[in-house]
Amino acid sequence: MPWFLHLALRQLFPPGKRFPAFATVSILGVGLGVASLLVVQTVMNGFGEEHRLRIRESFGDCVIVGSSPLARPDTLVAELRKNKEVEAATAYAEGPGLLRQGDFSGVAAVRGIDPADARQPARQYVMAGNFDDLDDGRVVLGAGLARILRVNVGDHIELWSPAMTERAEKGKAPLPADLVVCAIVRTGFTEVDDRAALIPLRRFREIWNLGPRAHGVILRLKNPSDAPAVAGRLGVGHPDLRFVPWQDIKKNFLEAIRFEKTMLFFLMFIITLVASFSIGSTLFSAVIRRSREIGVLVSLGSGRWQLVGLFGVQGLLIGALGTTLGFLLTWVMLFFRENILGSINAVFGDGDMVANVYQFSKVPLHYDISDFIIAAFFTLVTTTVAGLVPALWAAGRKPSEAMRDA
Amino acid sequence: MPDLVLQARGVAKAFAAPSGRLAVLADVSLEVFSGESVSIRGSSGSGKTTLLQLLGGLDEPDVGEVRVLAPGLGLVRPRTSLGRGVGFVFQNYQLMPELTALENVSLAARIAGASAGPAESAARELLAQVGLANRLEHLPARLSGGECQRVAIARALVNRPSVILADEPTGNLDERTGVEIMDLLLGVVAERGAALILVTHSREFAERAGRRFVLSGGVLSPA
Ligand SMILES: Nc1ncnc2c1ncn2[C@@H]1O[C@H](COP(=O)(O)OP(=O)(O)O)[C@@H](O)[C@H]1O
Ligand SMILES: [Mg+2]
Repeated sequence: MPWFLHLALRQLFPPGKRFPAFATVSILGVGLGVASLLVVQTVMNGFGEEHRLRIRESFGDCVIVGSSPLARPDTLVAELRKNKEVEAATAYAEGPGLLRQGDFSGVAAVRGIDPADARQPARQYVMAGNFDDLDDGRVVLGAGLARILRVNVGDHIELWSPAMTERAEKGKAPLPADLVVCAIVRTGFTEVDDRAALIPLRRFREIWNLGPRAHGVILRLKNPSDAPAVAGRLGVGHPDLRFVPWQDIKKNFLEAIRFEKTMLFFLMFIITLVASFSIGSTLFSAVIRRSREIGVLVSLGSGRWQLVGLFGVQGLLIGALGTTLGFLLTWVMLFFRENILGSINAVFGDGDMVANVYQFSKVPLHYDISDFIIAAFFTLVTTTVAGLVPALWAAGRKPSEAMRDA
Repeated sequence: MPDLVLQARGVAKAFAAPSGRLAVLADVSLEVFSGESVSIRGSSGSGKTTLLQLLGGLDEPDVGEVRVLAPGLGLVRPRTSLGRGVGFVFQNYQLMPELTALENVSLAARIAGASAGPAESAARELLAQVGLANRLEHLPARLSGGECQRVAIARALVNRPSVILADEPTGNLDERTGVEIMDLLLGVVAERGAALILVTHSREFAERAGRRFVLSGGVLSPA
């Protein structure tokens, strides 16, 4: 170990002091800055990932739609299933419906699906009832919608579609479809839970007068991240249809999240920057306090760059230890995020803020190693610069004058 | 004929002051040979510290030149042989407060290029020589003034310099300790074969040097 590194460690952590003031406070400052940066980034990733997951669950990896309903969806599905890049293909139809139970009613996004599809994503979110019971007389509801209608598994609801008016006899109100709730799903995604109603595609076609037609086909791909390229290849023989990869559904929204994340990086990095400034100023006063020592080091033959190293290394060490602490704090804060959020809500009121504003009932997370690398890199650079500036200044002084300063 | 270890020729130094230029050293010449001791006496502000800094390479003279004998390099400008040609002993000891006695001494050897092992054994040997064999792990704050100055003397000697420059080494010590330190300094420096330039305003200590000078009015004259 070069002598100046040894001396730097001793100056930062003087022997006999368990919590040296400068080192402790500086490391805490950097740690808190790094932690707040990473907490925000990780939660933002979580929001992004959660939205991506919902998009893929609702629309598959690629959704195929036309300017009018698909005339022969079954042949298209059969053709697509033969493609080796496609894992599964199912036709679907969807439309708004009016639901009523007694005095309660709500608007639903009704979707006609294949009840036999074992990979139907809604299956994993069943909180009550049994998804397999879904048949032409039954419906699966989102938890929020079930609450709005005050229904449970086994209760009856009535469903009107806009198409019913066409069939109704003149002067008579159309008769609703009567359905029994067979399962309730909760995805945690408010927009889905408050609106989703699933019925078999066959029943949907009846209620919406679709005949054999469907609104689109949902594909699951072997390699979802490659969806844009696959969509391009699959679409070659179908100029009348649009093959939309999941990445393009709600593209603006995903872009907005990414942009927000970048902005938050810079905002949160200001905290680390402020911490670095205080490291810089503390090291400056340390350099002045140690003027005579610096003079002595020069008289002992210390070179300019070794003096720079002596103080520069202290900034770097604080940056490195602070970053490590920041990583730990990030993990701890995110581990207890629901408790922390709960206490904040308890103090400042209005419990369901996250659910209402951000569409999630829980704070989602997604750790991304690159966030950690970027945060560590920027932090080390700023803290090292904070140490280097006073170090360069110290090394540039005349030793004879340095030794006259107190 | 002993070797010439330090030579100053026509050295002058002035500082910028509010009232114009302050000439501190006007024309100082000095030759010191190996193993001898030289004392420089002068009142406060007469330029003693300034002269030592020029001799040791911590500052450059405006006029004139200084050469010191650095082991293996011959007579060179002191700036180029800092830490090897001369060793400093200061009035305020100037030890690194976070380092133990042993580390303070071996630090000087490390800075001069020795690796950790040899630096430490050289430091142990010198600390034993100045009577601190049982204070190796003490921090400066846990040492008395006299003990601190012993550590500083050991540090000044660890790189085997040809000259020791001592700037009022007893200035912060009580009378008895001052005498002890003077005895030690003169003894150890002679034992090691180094020359000593002793700056002091004590007539008594100045008398103990082989050659004696007085610095006054910016010039050095024999006492
Ligand atoms: N860097 C400097 N700038 C201006 N004046 C200085 C500087 N260094 C020393 N002096 C002045 O030079 C004079 C001699 O100082 P010094 O060598 O410390 O005296 P001594 O050690 O004999 O007491 C003093 O008047 C002091 O104020
Ligand atoms: Mg002086």
